[in-house]
Formats: sequence, C-alpha cells, structure tokens
Amino acid sequence: MSERLVKINIPILLTAVLGIFMIIQFYFPLPQEAATTSNILMSFTTIVSAAALMLGSVILTIAHGKKILEKKPEWYYSILYVIPFAIITILGLISVQGASFAWVYNNITSPIGAALYSLTAFYITSAAYRVFRARNWSAAVLLVVSFIILMMLLPVGDYLVPPVMPIGQWLLSVPSNAGYRGMIMGTSLGVIGLGIRIFTGRQKEHLGIREEKKEAS
Amino acid sequence: MMDWVFLGLLVGSLGMIGAYTVLIGENPISKAVENIYMGILSGYLFAMNWDFINRNAIANIQANGQYVYIISIILCLMLVSRLNPKWIWVSRYPVALTIGVGMGIAIRTTVIADFLTQVQGTIIPFNTLNGIVLIIGSISAITYFLWTTNYWGKATGSYHYLNQLGRLFLLVAFGVTYGQTVSMRLELVVGTMYNILLPDVAIYSYAFVVIIGIVLYYGYSTKRIKWYKS
Amino acid sequence: MSIVKKMLNIDGRILFVIMFIAVAFPLLHPIVLPMVIQPYSQQAYDFANSIPNGSYVLVEGGNIAATDPACGPALSLFVYHMMTKNCKLVFFELTAEGAFWTQKEINVGLGKLPASVPAQNGVNWVNLGYIAGQESGAAALAANIRSTVSKDYFGTSIDTIPMMNNINTAKDFQAAFWFGGSEGSVPYGVRQLVMPYNLPLGASCTTNEAPNYSPYLQAGQLKGLFAGVRGSAEYEFLMGVPGTALGQSMATNIGGLYWLILILLGNILYFISRARGEK
Repeated sequence: MSERLVKINIPILLTAVLGIFMIIQFYFPLPQEAATTSNILMSFTTIVSAAALMLGSVILTIAHGKKILEKKPEWYYSILYVIPFAIITILGLISVQGASFAWVYNNITSPIGAALYSLTAFYITSAAYRVFRARNWSAAVLLVVSFIILMMLLPVGDYLVPPVMPIGQWLLSVPSNAGYRGMIMGTSLGVIGLGIRIFTGRQKEHLGIREEKKEAS
Repeated sequence: MMDWVFLGLLVGSLGMIGAYTVLIGENPISKAVENIYMGILSGYLFAMNWDFINRNAIANIQANGQYVYIISIILCLMLVSRLNPKWIWVSRYPVALTIGVGMGIAIRTTVIADFLTQVQGTIIPFNTLNGIVLIIGSISAITYFLWTTNYWGKATGSYHYLNQLGRLFLLVAFGVTYGQTVSMRLELVVGTMYNILLPDVAIYSYAFVVIIGIVLYYGYSTKRIKWYKS
Repeated sequence: MSIVKKMLNIDGRILFVIMFIAVAFPLLHPIVLPMVIQPYSQQAYDFANSIPNGSYVLVEGGNIAATDPACGPALSLFVYHMMTKNCKLVFFELTAEGAFWTQKEINVGLGKLPASVPAQNGVNWVNLGYIAGQESGAAALAANIRSTVSKDYFGTSIDTIPMMNNINTAKDFQAAFWFGGSEGSVPYGVRQLVMPYNLPLGASCTTNEAPNYSPYLQAGQLKGLFAGVRGSAEYEFLMGVPGTALGQSMATNIGGLYWLILILLGNILYFISRARGEK
C-alpha cells in the first residue's frame, strides 16, 4: 500500500495541489508569499522542461548508439547521427555563443531543416491534384473557399481578379472567424475538462502509470 | 584564408539539395542528410537547454544565493530515472510539477481569454449583418462539437440543422486554413530556393544537382538504390 | 488506358519538377506587381506606429530556419521601426532554435539603422534568450523576469543591464509584439500577457495560422497581425523600407497559380472520367 502511495497517489495529489494553487493564487488576494511561491513554481517548471528536452536528446542518442553496437540494419546511418551530435554538443557546452557552434547550426542544420519543412509543399500540390475532388457539397465548399483564399493571398490574384480580395477578406473575417471561434471555445472547455480530470486523478496517463502496469504484468 | 561565410553557403546549398532528393524516393543521400540534420539539431537542443538551466537555476544559486533552486536541480536529476524502468516512478514527481503548474496556468487564463472574451466578442457586434452571421456561426460551430459525440446524444430535429450549419461554418474555416497552408508551404519553398539560387552560390548549386544526379542515376541503373513507383 | 486516366495517374515526380521550375523562375526573373494591403497587416502597422516613443516593448521571437525567410523580415523591420521611435526592446524566445534566428534578425534590423539612431545592447535593447517551458515559460517571465532568467542571451547578468533597472514584470511594459512563426504560440501571448496584464499585443505568424487568430483580432485581444511573407512584404511597403520579403512574395505567384491550375485540371479530368464511366 505504501508503495502505491509513494509511486502513484502522491504524484497525482501533487499535480492537483499545485494546479489548484496556481488557479487560486491568480484569482484571490493572497499574501505576498503565495505570489513568490507561484513565481518559484513557474520557474521550476521551466527548468524541469529544459531538463526534459535534454533527456529526450539523450534517449534518442542512446537508441542510435544501441543500433550501432548491435549492428542493426542501416546502422551506419546512426553513425551520421552520433558524430554530429557529439561535435555540436561539445561545441555548445563550451559556449553557445561560440562562432563554431553558430556556424555548424546556421550552415548545416538550418538549410536542411528549411528544405525538409518545405517538402510538404510538393506533397500538398501532388495530393491536391490527385485527391482533392468536389465529390460532394462538403468537398466543394472546401475547394471553392481554398481557391478564393489562395487567389487572395497571391499578389497576382488581386491583379487578375480584383473582387477576390474583398470576398476573401469577408470569408476570413466572418464565417471562418465564426468557425474558429467555435473551435477556440470548444478547445478551452476541453482544456478545463482535461484539467479537472487530471486534478481529480481520473486521468493518469501523463504520469506514465499505464506503462508501469504493462511492465508489472 | 578560407572564407567561412562562403563555405557555409556552399555547405548549406549542398545540404538543401541533398534533402530535396527525397522527392525522387528514399535514397542514401537523403537518409544521410536527414541523420546528420537530426544529430546536429539534437545536440543543439541539448546545448541550448543546458545553457538555459545554467542561466536560470545555477546562476540564481551561485550569483544570487537563492538556494531554493537546488530543489529544481534535484527535480531535473529525478527525471533521469526514466532511463531505468525499475526507477521510472521517481520521474513522476518532476512531471507532476510540470503538468500541475502548466495546467493551472492554462486553465486560469483560458477561462477568460479563450471563453468569456470570445463570447463577448461574438455577442457585441449584433447590429450588423456580419455580426449576426458571426453569432449564428459561432453558436452553430460549438453546437457541432457538442452533438457529434454519443455522450450528449445524437442531434435530432432542429438541432440537426443547427449541427449541419455549424459543420458548414467549420468547412469554410478549414477551407480558409487549407488555402493559407498551401500559401505558407509555397513560401517555405521560395525561402529555400532563394538561398540555393543566391548569386554567389547558384553555379555551385547547379553543379551539386548535376553531381547528385549522376550519383543517383548510377545507383538506380545498377539497382543499388531501389526505385519507388510514385 | 485513356489519356484522361494517364494524366490523372501521372508520376508525382513530374509534378515536383514543374513545381521547382515554377518557383525558381520568378526568383531568377523577378516580376513586381502592385499589391493590395490586407486589413490585418494595416492594423498591425498602425498598432506598431501608435506605440508611444520611448516605450518599453516586450518582443517574442519564434521564427525557426524554415519560417525565418518569410516572417524574419517583419521582425527585423520591427526592430528598425521601434529603434527609430527610441523604444526599448526586450526580446525573449520560447524555442531553442528561435533564439538563434531572433538574434540574427535583431542584427539585420540594427544594421539597417542610420548611424544617428542609438542601438546599444543593454541600453536600447536586450535579448533575454531562450526560455524553456512554452506557455509556462511565458507566464513565468511575465510574472517575474529575474526569477525566470538571471542572465541574458550573451551571459550578462540582468541586474547589470542598465535598461533592465525597474523592469521585472509584464506590468512594466507598454506594449508587446509576438513573432510566433509557426509555433502556434500567439495564444500564449493572449492568455499570459493580454488577459492578466492588459498589455496591448500585436503579432506575426506564418500564413497558415492567420485564420486561427482571427477570433482574437475580432475580439480586440490582438491589435494586428502580419501573416507570412505577404504580411512582411506589406510591412516593408508601409514602412517604405525595401527588403527580401517583397521579392519572395512575388515569387509565390507562379507557384500558387500552378497549384490552382492543378486543382482545376484535376477536377475537370475527374468529372470527364466520371462522365465516361471510367473507374
């Protein structure tokens, strides 16, 4: 029982206490110590988030390292991961302001990252040609609206078909606005609902509790 | 003396063209480029987050004498227990802190910013045609969310029409987003092509395309690289 | 197989090659066309212009390698704009990549300034650097800068930075501008700066995110929005400071028209194929 208390119940309780404290501190006048505690908690959250991202990098590197050691298929590509990782980590730990660190990031990662991001433009165009059909009224609405909006966004669109700007602006400002407003409000209700579920302990997946049950069995 | 700026542009151009070869189909060049990219990005994130912890927790302890930040260092070390399945429960404490505080921060402001202010923004302009369309659209879009799950029951009668009207507004919103997304993706391509075609490096870019083309042609023709049907 | 079917099943690589040509051609042979300024961009420019001279402005930089060519020019131009109004700028970033690109754009913006405009680090601007934690980081910074970060991007202690004397919370600022890129982080600014502290906020984002933020604009929570490369180009046009965004915006013309033609062609061929009873 005490094992369950320490491993499961206390973390769930901690989540709830901290979350409810942050909400109460915001809305109710509390002593200055509460505001100081709130600031410290937020600061701790940022530090732990940074550590979590570092851990993510380490876990990925360990996975690639295992692939090399166990000579799994295409293990040589993992060498192309590990060596640059090691180089830039060492350069960054020496100084993130260093010229070498900036050079490697700016001239290798950034261009490749930009190119990889932009690949979706090609796939989107190819997919639009093959799949985007006005088969029913829903698809037709989607097609016509996206057509008008893209015409509006292209400088040549206003030039060729001047009415496309006011029509597109109206679509953006009124019906699309209404749709997104519904989504924002629905999402905010969902966030509140999720928060209540987490604070009451009905949702424990964020603590990985489902994972441990699988390992126990 | 080597011109590091020019060398950087060359290397960047080569990397971009190598990344674009994935459009032909997965090949050793694109895989190599992707792995190099992941390695450097992963290392970059590691270093930048370490620098942040340095500038925050460690600086507050060393320079400002705020020893309470030692707790944050202990919490960071507790996260490392995730590497061992037997000790994974230890990492639940820092996760509980992050999720608890994060949820509290999100909930306390979303109620007003994302709900009440949005309701206000919907209702206030009711004396214009656009305002009326906005009110009807917002209400019907929320109705669509509420009545598309079995929890509240399926929408029947006049609720069904309100539901379908909400669907129409959402389709317009998604159509607008799709059009804008296509434009954004085009902008990304334009941005990278702009860098590849810079006057200083354009000739080298064309040379890289030819060299990579020859390498891939050799690979595909000798069946060392698999040709994917598109 | 009929010609219609063959065209509908064309190899995607051919479409990609045509796309490359469609994008590269206007970059090599620029065509400049007149552009109508979108209302959101005009509002964002008017908001930036209305910030009183000498104000403290909080700026979030969220561009990454992919989005910097499109949204970066707006950030560098904003730096230029605010410096010419003698405003004090405090930058922060919520992503590690964003830190690099924001400093790069700050340098570009400062480089455009005439020699007579003061632009000293620590006196006229400061970059607080990367803050982890996304929305929690933004909330922590807005509540207490010194408990969130004690050194700036360059490792200088904040307590020794002249312009940071008496500046510790979002209440000490007169305006904010959120260059969210494609992070989807503009709502963090609305929730953590506008709602609790009533800080007027303008924003910039990639084109695809503009519809997501139109409710905030209509509700008055956002004062204006520069969306994508077109927004950056419009900012350049309104400021009268030419830059890279205008050329890039014009370069999207042929690529965009190519997409529109493909959509039309695809649908026409589909309906012909359906009329013929082909599967």
